[in-house]
Amino acid sequence: MGKNIVVTNNPLVKAKYQDKVPLEYYDIGYLELLMKVRDKVHLGYKLLTHPLSSSVKPNETPYKTVIISEGSGLDSDSLLIIENSILTTKKFLNDISVYNWEDKILEDFQVVDLSIIEPAINKIL
Amino acid sequence: MRLELGYVFIKDVQFGSESKVENGTLYVNKEELINLIKEDEHFESVDIELARPGESVRITPVKDVIEPRVKVEGPGGIFPGMISKVDIVGSGKTNVLKGCAVVTTGRIVGFQEGIIDMTGPGAEYTPFSKLNNVVLVCEPKEGLKQHEHEKALRMAGFKVAAHLGKLAKEIKPDEVDTFETLPILEGINKYSDLPKVAYVQMLQSQGLLHDTYVYGVDAKQIVPTILYPTEIMDGAIVSGNCVSACDKNTTYHHLNNPVVQDLYKKHGKELNFVGVIITNENVYLADKERSSNWTAKLAEFLGLDGVVVSQEGFGNPDTDLIMNCKKIEQKGIKTVIITDEYAGRDGASQSLADADKLANAVVTGGNANEVITLPPMDKIIGHIKYVDTIAGGFDGSLKEDGSIVVELQAITGATNELGFNKLTARGF
Repeated sequence: MGKNIVVTNNPLVKAKYQDKVPLEYYDIGYLELLMKVRDKVHLGYKLLTHPLSSSVKPNETPYKTVIISEGSGLDSDSLLIIENSILTTKKFLNDISVYNWEDKILEDFQVVDLSIIEPAINKIL
Repeated sequence: MRLELGYVFIKDVQFGSESKVENGTLYVNKEELINLIKEDEHFESVDIELARPGESVRITPVKDVIEPRVKVEGPGGIFPGMISKVDIVGSGKTNVLKGCAVVTTGRIVGFQEGIIDMTGPGAEYTPFSKLNNVVLVCEPKEGLKQHEHEKALRMAGFKVAAHLGKLAKEIKPDEVDTFETLPILEGINKYSDLPKVAYVQMLQSQGLLHDTYVYGVDAKQIVPTILYPTEIMDGAIVSGNCVSACDKNTTYHHLNNPVVQDLYKKHGKELNFVGVIITNENVYLADKERSSNWTAKLAEFLGLDGVVVSQEGFGNPDTDLIMNCKKIEQKGIKTVIITDEYAGRDGASQSLADADKLANAVVTGGNANEVITLPPMDKIIGHIKYVDTIAGGFDGSLKEDGSIVVELQAITGATNELGFNKLTARGF
């Protein structure tokens, strides 16, 4: 298996795991993060976790963490999943855009995203 | 396994000096319940409110809804692994306080979901507006972390429901329903000419406010397994509270699972309902592959002719749903899937984040993006200020007069993926 990378825009995931696993942090939005992941899928990376990992909607939370793995060619299953996830995200953002949340609520979103990705990160530690 | 469910009909709920059930009224001693909940030292303050059908009351943010039940005969107790020991439940006799529920509310995280209106247009979208509700308003101590808060509130709901359930232990039920599932070989011999059908129930299992427990086990950690359907009626499966209130199954939904109920109605007549295969919905894609491989393997092993699959939650579970459907169909077993839709406000967008041509029999619980205006209510139980920050809400959702413009996803149970609601679509 190739190198696994945690791709995130969640500062809490970065703070907790940047010294433990290969981690790429980007200070960008939810949709932009999914597009970053899509770029990597085109470069041969494979998805290890589902990009729509939570029931918190893409126009609610600004945070997203996805785990990918280095591969040897285009993985068509991964491409299909990331493209469908981007389509779904755009659908939500078209109707209502992301709220300007206060810090306490942003922290809650970070905690939920961390809680959801943590069992998966533990599998690659 | 054979279970008799005895329904004690509850037509009203009142506070009283003694908790009891009398002539169809549930009397609740407020102090007794508050003291019971405050045994958990995580709560700063606890209050109990009552909400009856037709009253001008809005409850929000709702975290779980639980039906009080009690074991009258047979092994184990209600909510095994949570409240009771882990004996196998689902046989003997269980009494149900039918027509009432315990509703938990609380600000576990700042963004919120879950509205129950007891009257008006919103009430039509949630089955819980028809119940006499005992609402727990629990405020955490300063600094309590989200995970601890979630667990404390979850356990408070189960404790109160089990406590109220016990009030019906000695009462002769108004009505009794009997459900029986035989061990697989006996069942197949008895109903040899009927098609063998199972129910694949997908349990949401992703993390904080996205979890489900089976006999106390976090469903993330299970591999697919088989339950007698009656185990579910005794609380073998419970909710770990919710985000996405419209399509997370509350504990009430599990106890009253309509797929189980409907399959039993046809059991021994049109089909042989052999049992329930439970599976999970983990975030890790290899877990999705493994779990769907196992559901298909178990379906084949049981020699099934047909399967009903129900989903829970939004987004990544669409992938589990399609994997389950596809792999079971590829074994030569017919499937029907139950889901809900996020088809945009106009309903014109693709409904699910995944699809396959083998998913050719689909039941929908409705479009969660549909917009509704909820008129103001005289009384709010919980925290109305969070409505702007509710799923399906948006900046300006809460109007000055107290009315709310939201998507249906804000309403508890509105697009339930077990079909415990009124919304659907039909092709002609």
